[in-house]
Amino acid sequence: MAILDLITEDCVKVPLTGTTKKVVLREMLEHLENAGKINDVETIYTALLLREDQGSTGLGAGIAVPHAKTEAVKDLVLGVGISPAGIDFDAVDGQPSKIFFLVLAPPEQSGKHLQVLSEIARISQSAAFLRVLISSQTAAEVVEMFRE
Amino acid sequence: MAGPIEKMMVYLDGTEESIVAAEYAVCLAKGCGASLTALYVVNTRALNDLVRSRIFIESEEREYKSDLEEDAQRYLNHVQDLARKKGLAIQTIKSSGAINTEIKHKVEELDIDLLLIGELSRIQSRRDEFYNEVERAMRSVSCSVMIVKNEDRVWSLYESLV
Repeated sequence: MAILDLITEDCVKVPLTGTTKKVVLREMLEHLENAGKINDVETIYTALLLREDQGSTGLGAGIAVPHAKTEAVKDLVLGVGISPAGIDFDAVDGQPSKIFFLVLAPPEQSGKHLQVLSEIARISQSAAFLRVLISSQTAAEVVEMFRE
Repeated sequence: MAGPIEKMMVYLDGTEESIVAAEYAVCLAKGCGASLTALYVVNTRALNDLVRSRIFIESEEREYKSDLEEDAQRYLNHVQDLARKKGLAIQTIKSSGAINTEIKHKVEELDIDLLLIGELSRIQSRRDEFYNEVERAMRSVSCSVMIVKNEDRVWSLYESLV
């Protein structure tokens, strides 16, 4: 299971318009709902906030990886959002988060969930990749970045 | 004189492809009289990386580790059943660490002649080439490697095995 198995243009929101953590999470979930990837936005939103309460998923360097295991999804779901201006996501380095990888997994798919999160962790270490990703203007550009 | 394959190992990763590899391994082991070991590696290296990168908090690491251990046992039990149904004894090993290095170590430790793995996923980007753990293992192990393909044919072979 790789990011490219999950990412499609309709999973990507560029640019995000929300300016707070909660609004951005909801914005990404509604985008995924419109794409037909999820149904129960409220349950998932609550699961994401519960996880954020235990510690922010704002990793620093402009990356945030909100994620949750929830029975509200039947299969792994990935959403990608880019906020060029950045928002306060309580990141560990105090810097605004600009790239968001939202990952949702059903409880019985821990292995696949782990693989996708691992790939995101690796991507997050590539400053050059992130720089280009932030400058993407369209969902198609974002998907193309991952194909390269 | 012993045959060219005395000790086989099949690597399981929870995918359908690895189960197909296990079915074929049972057929092959029966056919050539080789011993068969099934290995599942709980990827604790990835869990550690996720904690280090701050994607996971420690309670998540524990929870996922427990989930993965259960998955591993479930798949190993399933493959044990597949072998038992065909009258083949199989050794199962649940290991943990980095997948490619664990496979390599077990191949050396058990003096394996042939490693069987499931069909590899399609390479979609350069990252896939760099980070596919099973492919890395395939390249680095000291024994011969067989990639098992054609699920329907393998199932038919397995079903017809007495």
